[in-house]
Amino acid sequence: MKQSELDSILKKARLPEVPEESRELFPRRIVARLKHNEVQSPHARSFLPRLTWAFGLAAGVVIAFAIGHWSGRMETKNLTASDSLADLKLIRETMAMFPNRVRAIVQDERGLNLVLSDNTDVPASSPIYVRICDGKQCSSLVTFSGQEIQIAGQKLTVLSQPDGGIILEGNQFVWSSSEPVYAARKLNIEAKNLGLKTM
Amino acid sequence: MARMAGSDNESQLIEQSLSGDPEAYAALVIQHQAMIRAVTFRMTGSPEDAEELAQDVFLRAYRQLAAFKGGSKFSTWLCKIAINLSLDWRRRESRRDGIHSKWAAEVISENNPGSGFPDDLSRRVQAALERLPAKQRAAIVLTVYENQSHAEAAKTLGCTEATVSWRVFYARRKLKKLLKDLPHEAV
Repeated sequence: MKQSELDSILKKARLPEVPEESRELFPRRIVARLKHNEVQSPHARSFLPRLTWAFGLAAGVVIAFAIGHWSGRMETKNLTASDSLADLKLIRETMAMFPNRVRAIVQDERGLNLVLSDNTDVPASSPIYVRICDGKQCSSLVTFSGQEIQIAGQKLTVLSQPDGGIILEGNQFVWSSSEPVYAARKLNIEAKNLGLKTM
Repeated sequence: MARMAGSDNESQLIEQSLSGDPEAYAALVIQHQAMIRAVTFRMTGSPEDAEELAQDVFLRAYRQLAAFKGGSKFSTWLCKIAINLSLDWRRRESRRDGIHSKWAAEVISENNPGSGFPDDLSRRVQAALERLPAKQRAAIVLTVYENQSHAEAAKTLGCTEATVSWRVFYARRKLKKLLKDLPHEAV
């Protein structure tokens, strides 16, 4: 399917009809909520007592921590099930799309993200797959030897050895694929050379 | 203050809204509700959530209206709020219910066959959009449905143009797979 054909299909797709009554009521509902002061006027300043804010903030932190802790466990499962970085074609095509600019393709709790260099200064080499789990969640990435990358709260440099082995150098640990048992802070690390030819 | 609005009338309505005239703001809502409802529906796939989010968009926009300096069209500014609220909604929903996009798509296609869509193609396309990660879906909604350039979409999404290009590229690839059995000759 060509891109133009796909776009044409996408644009042909129509939305479910919104009932006329709903369309008419919609602005009235907004106005009603504005008039009931549910929303501050654009120029209004907040005079809520600081204590309320402080209490709200504290409650928010506790709830966010609880949700974050819980969702972290969920994300681990999801990432395992749908690790897009296993798709070598995607990696190859991304590298072709941004030649010598791809520093990493990262998959973490925020989804799939591309880290590009501003310049075409990433040396051509075989991509390296790295996956780090810290007990709560897992992050994975595809990067290249010599790149310094932030992953799972760790800043680390990824290095490829001539024999195909991988070394990860973090702030407080060094990990090697030949001796993978020495991961710091109970990190579970996997790394492998994907053996793709770069363009 | 000169603002880049769709028309003189729109600029006037914005100024009146800023002066605290809710009816002027209602007129702006009428002008833009179809676009915002479309964005929130494409992002959520649920008429109820889309309606609720669309309301939130206009309430948030009203609260932030003084911050609209006219660096873009008013509709683009609204669209940015809609996309960001939709992405926040998706994060909240995912955390609350553990929703997986595949699961959501299956709910649309299986439990609720028609879902009010006018035809099968429309239903299939929405189900395919639901299968995309939210940020990729947002990139498609902005560039394909809202006709934004990759540079404009990058501003809306708060990322680089290259990231938008990549998300669109990757999303198209998935969509082609998901929609490959739809008749091309009808295109």
